[in-house]
Amino acid sequence: MQALRTLARKLLTEGTVQVVIGYENGPRGARPTFVTLPEEAERLVFTPGCVQNLASYLSPRRNHLRALGKPAVVVKGCDAKAVAGLIRESQLKRENVVLIGVRCGGVVRDPALFEKLSLDTVADRCGDCDNREPKLVDHLLGELPPAPPASTRMSERMARLEAMSHEERFAFWTEQMERCVRCHACREVCPLCFCVRCLADKTMPQWIESSAHARGNLAWHFTHAMHLAGRCVGCGECQRVCPADIPLSLLNRKMAQIAAQRFGYKVCDDPQVPAPIGAFRKEDEQEFIR
Amino acid sequence: MKKEMFISDSDLRALAQELLTAGTAVIAPVQKKLPLGERIEYARVQSPDQLVFNQAVSANSLKEFIMPPTVAILCWKQRKAEVELQEIPRDPTPQVVIGAHPCDAAALAVVDRVMDWDYHDELWFDRRNQTTILSLACTAGDGTCFCTAVGLAPDSSRGADILLLPTANGFRAEVMTDKGEKLVKAHIPRFKDLENQQPLPALEAAKKKIAANLRMDSKAIQGLLEKGFEHELWKTLGLACHGCGGCAQVCPTCHCFDIVDEPEGVDQGTRRRNWDTCQTAKFTLHGSGHNPRADQNCRIRQRLMHKFFIYPEKFQEVLCTGCGRCARVCPGGMDLPEVLKMLTAKAAL
Repeated sequence: MQALRTLARKLLTEGTVQVVIGYENGPRGARPTFVTLPEEAERLVFTPGCVQNLASYLSPRRNHLRALGKPAVVVKGCDAKAVAGLIRESQLKRENVVLIGVRCGGVVRDPALFEKLSLDTVADRCGDCDNREPKLVDHLLGELPPAPPASTRMSERMARLEAMSHEERFAFWTEQMERCVRCHACREVCPLCFCVRCLADKTMPQWIESSAHARGNLAWHFTHAMHLAGRCVGCGECQRVCPADIPLSLLNRKMAQIAAQRFGYKVCDDPQVPAPIGAFRKEDEQEFIR
Repeated sequence: MKKEMFISDSDLRALAQELLTAGTAVIAPVQKKLPLGERIEYARVQSPDQLVFNQAVSANSLKEFIMPPTVAILCWKQRKAEVELQEIPRDPTPQVVIGAHPCDAAALAVVDRVMDWDYHDELWFDRRNQTTILSLACTAGDGTCFCTAVGLAPDSSRGADILLLPTANGFRAEVMTDKGEKLVKAHIPRFKDLENQQPLPALEAAKKKIAANLRMDSKAIQGLLEKGFEHELWKTLGLACHGCGGCAQVCPTCHCFDIVDEPEGVDQGTRRRNWDTCQTAKFTLHGSGHNPRADQNCRIRQRLMHKFFIYPEKFQEVLCTGCGRCARVCPGGMDLPEVLKMLTAKAAL
């Protein structure tokens, strides 16, 4: 923790960056914070409560943050994948950000409810983490903590869905989508949803109905999932923010599995590795072209 | 008009069953099983066994039962230049809310003011007039609740047709309105004389706990905001905000809406009224591409201005009932009680 504060103070004092985007303790647990003065670096923390993906704040849509100047960002392994996504898709230049990597032993589901990691409190996504030590960094801090509690919640939910018939699965998703109020909070917090003008907001013509009815909700969530296929880093921010608690991570996890099966692609924090959506390979299966 | 009676827990559930049998919709906090776990939320119940009281603050507010996320206003058919409009019949099912949090009942009364201001909003009042609310004095508040700071209380009767105060054996029922009186009369065998039934001490403890969460000066904040459109705090207040609008979705008093035309095929369609929020960039985006609220700091300012300056200026009360849901749902960790504390301190300078 002290290393993080010392580094932040140094970066701000030297003028390498104008803002350090990290975590602090708030009234409801760890939360994002924006340090612009060296003497304020003392409030930075990194704990298992730091569940938020701060890469979202690097999106070009966050113009109020861009106005502060060059940022340094604290990134866990999963967050670094999102930063790599932004660089890979030309939304961010590598030299325009300083990445402070932190070795991670997992985060809790909800920092307002839990402080310590346990099988019950650990975030669903941490169970099978493959990037506890981010590689896309300028600085790497901390010792590697023990592996997170091996939660199987995510894989169990996936297995339950896989075991369903088409009809049962459709009924499951229909029931979930009926709860959607179309606030699009899932899109706004997503680090990879960086479009200034989303397809779902276009009205001439209106491709996707904006009303919270079965047709509109299905069109929106399918489109969102398709647009994130092979791009989603699985940070779970969409699911965490959803006021209706729709299990969006399950949709995104499935798309990631398909991308892995069909294109041998796994989202990683190396921006040089091309993603299926932005690259063409002759060996890609093309059975749909007849 | 206040009249006090007693109703036992089993009689309250029997009353719910009588309502259901008569075809009335019953809305109540229920324990909802979801793929990601369980939570307490207001829902239309099928059986009185579903009712749960004072377990936790409900995840959603009552707003969606008066102003659903989407409502059809009219249908159109078009043949060349001829347009035929069809009204959509508006006859909402009568509904009774059993166990509303006082903050949610109060919110409906607060929003009534604007809905009956320069225009009488039929879509709002159609459902509002068909709704009878039994508030339940709240002992479920947590460290983020602040109803006492905005002039309410865990046992506030604002917006309630009947206020239920938990006692050792059931509830003390205080009948507040004609609607409440009508409900009591229709189910009179369920209500008994109030024989020395005292509200549980837990209620007093809850009041003290909530009061300790936040002390604020609404008048001072209103004064600060009135003069403070260009205040320097707006330069940083919205930094953590993603503009997701989650706060507005769960807010019992946020009531802004959008009107959209959705074609269904080539020559017909439906006009709908949908929830909207000032926290998104699109809310104020002009056709020209210009956006007068250019960034998230401006949008956070708008949210605070509307709730704590514009609304009190027009209606002499803040557009907030202290439910704390905005803070609970915020992915950026923004915390309205904390902001209000800070604004109170700034106003005192």
